[in-house]
Amino acid sequence: MTHLATLFPSLPSALAGDGDAHGTAHRAAEGAAAAATWIGGATAHPEYSWAGWILLLPLLSAVFCFLCGAFRVKNKLPALVTIAALGSAFGLVLTLYLKYDPTHASGPMTVHLFDWIRVVWGEKPGQSFVADWSLYIDGLTLFWMLFVTGLGTLIAIFASEYMESDVGGNYCRFFGAVGIFLFAMGSLVMGGNLALLYLGWEGVGVASYLLIGYYYGKPTAVAAAKKAFVMNRVGDLGLLVGIYLTWRHFGSIDYATIFKACSETIANGSHGGDWTKGLIPYFLMLGAFGKSAQIPLFTWLPDAMEGPTPVSALIHAATMVTAGVYLIARLYPLFLLHPHALHTVAWIGGLTAFLAATIGMMQYDMKRVFAYSTVSQLGYMFLGLGVGTTFGACYHVFTHAFFKALLFLASGAVMHGFAGQLDIRKISGLRNVPGFKIVAWTMLIGCLWLSALPFTAAFFSKDTILLVAMTDESHGNRILAWLGLLTALMTAYYTFRVWFRVCGGETAYQPGDEAHGHDDHGHDADHGHGHGHSHGHAADAHGFHPHAPRFAINGVLLLLAVGAILAGLPGLIEFLKMGPNWAAEMIAASSATIGVPNLTEGLAGGHAEHAHHATVLGMDGHTAMFLLSTVAGFGGIAIAAYYHLVRRRAAETLKQALLANPLIGWLPRALENKWYVDELYDALFRYPIVVFGGHVLAWIDRYILDGGIINGIARIPAWIGRLFQPLYNGLLQGYAITMVGGIGLILAWIVYVWMKGGI
Amino acid sequence: MSAKLYLIIPEIILVVGAVLVTVLGLSRAKALRDAVPGATVGLIILAFLSVFAVTTDERLAAAGLLMPGLVVYGKSLILLVSASLVLLGVGLVDRRLERAIGSGQVAFDPIRVQRGEHHAFLLLSIAGACLLCNAPDFIWAFLAVELVSLPTYIVVASSKSSRKAQEAAVKYFFLGALSSAVLLYGIALLYGATGTVELEPMRQALAAQAASGGISTLAIVGGVLAILGLCYKISAVPMHFYAPDVYEGAATPVTAFLAFIPKAAGFLALILVLDVFGWSGHSFTRGDDLYIIERGLPQPITALLWMIAVLTMTLGNIGALLQKNVKRMLAYSSVAHSGYMMIGLIAGPAGIDGVSGINATLFYLLSYAIMNVATFGPLASLERNGEEIETFDDIAGLRQRHPWMAASLAIGAGSLIGLPPLLGFWAKLYIFMAGLEAGQWHLVLVAAINSGISVWYYLRLINDPLVAQPTARSETVTNGPSIWPRAAAIVTAGLLIVAPLMLGRLVSAANGVTRGEATTAVAAPPTETVVSDASR
Repeated sequence: MTHLATLFPSLPSALAGDGDAHGTAHRAAEGAAAAATWIGGATAHPEYSWAGWILLLPLLSAVFCFLCGAFRVKNKLPALVTIAALGSAFGLVLTLYLKYDPTHASGPMTVHLFDWIRVVWGEKPGQSFVADWSLYIDGLTLFWMLFVTGLGTLIAIFASEYMESDVGGNYCRFFGAVGIFLFAMGSLVMGGNLALLYLGWEGVGVASYLLIGYYYGKPTAVAAAKKAFVMNRVGDLGLLVGIYLTWRHFGSIDYATIFKACSETIANGSHGGDWTKGLIPYFLMLGAFGKSAQIPLFTWLPDAMEGPTPVSALIHAATMVTAGVYLIARLYPLFLLHPHALHTVAWIGGLTAFLAATIGMMQYDMKRVFAYSTVSQLGYMFLGLGVGTTFGACYHVFTHAFFKALLFLASGAVMHGFAGQLDIRKISGLRNVPGFKIVAWTMLIGCLWLSALPFTAAFFSKDTILLVAMTDESHGNRILAWLGLLTALMTAYYTFRVWFRVCGGETAYQPGDEAHGHDDHGHDADHGHGHGHSHGHAADAHGFHPHAPRFAINGVLLLLAVGAILAGLPGLIEFLKMGPNWAAEMIAASSATIGVPNLTEGLAGGHAEHAHHATVLGMDGHTAMFLLSTVAGFGGIAIAAYYHLVRRRAAETLKQALLANPLIGWLPRALENKWYVDELYDALFRYPIVVFGGHVLAWIDRYILDGGIINGIARIPAWIGRLFQPLYNGLLQGYAITMVGGIGLILAWIVYVWMKGGI
Repeated sequence: MSAKLYLIIPEIILVVGAVLVTVLGLSRAKALRDAVPGATVGLIILAFLSVFAVTTDERLAAAGLLMPGLVVYGKSLILLVSASLVLLGVGLVDRRLERAIGSGQVAFDPIRVQRGEHHAFLLLSIAGACLLCNAPDFIWAFLAVELVSLPTYIVVASSKSSRKAQEAAVKYFFLGALSSAVLLYGIALLYGATGTVELEPMRQALAAQAASGGISTLAIVGGVLAILGLCYKISAVPMHFYAPDVYEGAATPVTAFLAFIPKAAGFLALILVLDVFGWSGHSFTRGDDLYIIERGLPQPITALLWMIAVLTMTLGNIGALLQKNVKRMLAYSSVAHSGYMMIGLIAGPAGIDGVSGINATLFYLLSYAIMNVATFGPLASLERNGEEIETFDDIAGLRQRHPWMAASLAIGAGSLIGLPPLLGFWAKLYIFMAGLEAGQWHLVLVAAINSGISVWYYLRLINDPLVAQPTARSETVTNGPSIWPRAAAIVTAGLLIVAPLMLGRLVSAANGVTRGEATTAVAAPPTETVVSDASR
């Protein structure tokens, strides 16, 4: 109790409430009388069992796609079926959302689909392990599922055109894996217990592995897939241990039960007992850091860009990598079990945001820049979770999903059109290349949004996080906020560095090496527009015709741009004081907010005026943050404009000057080499393991374990077996005699037992 | 009477179908002859559907069965699995003859074609196994068991035109006759001890004996002999000696058939025999009341089963270690799995969370059937120069040319080991838990050690196709003539992964078999320790 009080000063009064199990979003939102209520008993809603189809449809489409592969389908049928399945799933989520009332007093809904694992060895709690296929539906679930299925559908549409050069077995494989991914993601988000979450967690890991390694002929892709898988294993182990400890302490892995037990634990102040309870959040956190690419497990995500771009957009930007944020938001009550858990999350998030942004500034591969920006933005989300604004974190996930998917798909369109070219030094003036207008301008929207300029969606979401961090004076959160602002400046810089390089300036381009299998020359004739124009500016690209995107790609880019704009609406409405924030209401009606002390008072309810009496730089917090982030955003853009649009040579000169300077020359080199983190991990983990495992252990294994012990033991049964070998002599009469003899022996044994009266 | 007739409509369909298929196989038109496997599968599915159509609670009640729940579960288990087993053999029989007829070398001769009768015999054997599920008395049960076995003797002989197959069939037949004699002798003694051959009255008579001073020696000796006779069907020690030779000698699809259908019939019959003796008597408390079920297996019978289980697991696994022939190895593994399943029989109604030992055994039977098809499937669907593949050399490096078959083999073997999350793991888990609940922890320990030993040889089935380099022999392995064995293998391997997702459903289906089994009251109120056993 005591350390909770230090964590959240408002706690004692908050927990003095009645502890009523049925917390309501309303009461939480209004922060009425500080009577925080814990999310408790969920109500069963068997009438919503059709929600199971949200999971089943993508799975069925995956099965169908693999069958298409088996039957050698050579058209776009798999894509159509996947789009239809994902679209229907989105429709179902939407229906569920319309039927769900975030202010409803009954709390979260559970839908039991069918029994799954039921191991019971006693009547008492803790003497059973029950994991059924059940869904847990509250505001957070629906919030997440809406953009997961919605973006999934859009990206499947995009991919139907993007992947068209692979039509055939690979096309089926791609969409099959996308179906598996959506199923797993659905299970992760909608599952009613930690087992389903873990199933989905591993499932998205598998789908991610399959899709990163999609171009399995390419060694870098295979290496990246392996790297992602192995690094995620580290995190997943943490999650698994966390789940085990949760089960051990609360006797269940069912959300409803855990939250109730957890609230009782904290309310009773009984932090005594087993110290391992305090480890639960740290293990869960490790899982979240692995999946969401945070320090120390972030290096896999940039490499994951080896996968096809729609995959980067869907899995490695918009949805899967946010699973870590979801995990913490969903299990937020568990993160109160140790006083420093959330602070750790905040610091890791803030530092990751900063570190990734510094690396992003010096990369030349467009997708890699966006990959590092994803890591950086995820860092913001963890910062938000850590400083207590689950709303800010989840809303940032939401807005980020749209504009980052947009940016990835736009760079995918460039890659598609320029034969795999991604180097920002080799493409320029895209806005004037025929057929690429939509790509260039939608990309601009994405860049503006990523830079979080005022009144863009990210402005509202990111600033919520920074504002809360800034106004919280404990545990160095203010330092993190300033770091976040610096990161925002860098974000605006590297984002517009890409846009000014690629879309601004003179039109000039070189084709890529077509290593990604987008060789479109074979069927250029199929694509009418975008070709046949004179490429006056393309001095260095004789004979190369950019392959302009067609309807599916352009349409999806436009839709995503609209989505990115609309994603800002809830924030805008609140900003203009025209009404409550929709996103905040959704998050408020979930385990990420209800009853969590401190949040009820913060921005969770969308009533920001409750929260911040603190001032920043002598101004009202809101005004100060508005000004600061505007300055950061425009400052970054201005720097980028100078070095990458107006005077591109200056950038090179500056870099050379910096490199020549012995005092700071190491800095750009370190940035370009990603702070040597990969090398550090190699030195710390890989080489020791290779040397120790590959030589020392291998020797022990070969000569002592295998040679001596194992083979020695294995010889015993074989030796016994040889003893019986004569009985299997292959002769009928021999067998008959042995059988009868066996019967006789067994009868003798029974008589012996009978006499003795026991075995 | 009519209730019994209704209940055997699925079997009638199968038997009539057997005639139909025989005639079809004799047809002059090649298309009709080729339709034989399809028709067989169709008939099995028809029978499967009819199980649900004809089985009603009233009819089950009127038929006077010992375990009414067995009718639906047992028959659907047998029929569904046998459909995939028949698919494994598509393209097996008459392959050379049909090719010769097709190329005009040989004229069509109804005497020489065998496809029709092969499938007819399979149908008859399946019908026998189904009949066992609604056996009201021991005569019926014995005839059903024989109906399972007799056609398989012929099928083994005719499946391959090699001396080995003939030899295997002869061994199988003579040793089978020996075991049937033992079984029949046991039944005769039981009849002598109780004066009836009907199962339910016999159970009541034995319960009355137990209540008044113990079951008579005659009945126990009868029971022991009957169990030993049935051990042949489930290839348990000491009646397992035929298994390696016969499994190796028969064509692979037939081996897969032998590894499941007679075994299923044997276990169903064992469940009936043991139920006649009443199952383990153990007490439990609920609230303040002590419940003692006075119907336990007699000590000698438990001792017998215990010894058989231990020997079967151990000898099966040890035998498998030494094999170089995959089929022979799988034969020993089949022996070992019978040993695991015996644990469930010993546990009887004991078990946790509603999964009794009997249910665990039935669930294991289902899981074993699926693994069986997944493991034998690749062997049945690949060939080398028209010969079947059977050594480890043949399957080395299979992944390069037959990735799906390699995967199916590996998944099947993984499930046979009991690797989570495959189906085999859950089956083993339930069996072991039932054993522990019944207090048989020695037995479970032995089984666990045996599982450890079995990893040694099953890993070869994973390692050789997936990791090892191809050998000269495996380079020449090609796909067999038909796609259906491959399809069956892939589907069952997929099921091994997917089915655990529906574990709850599958287990509760098995629960239906014995639900209410223990509620049947003991005929004579035995001792005063029985507070109540009707409340279970």
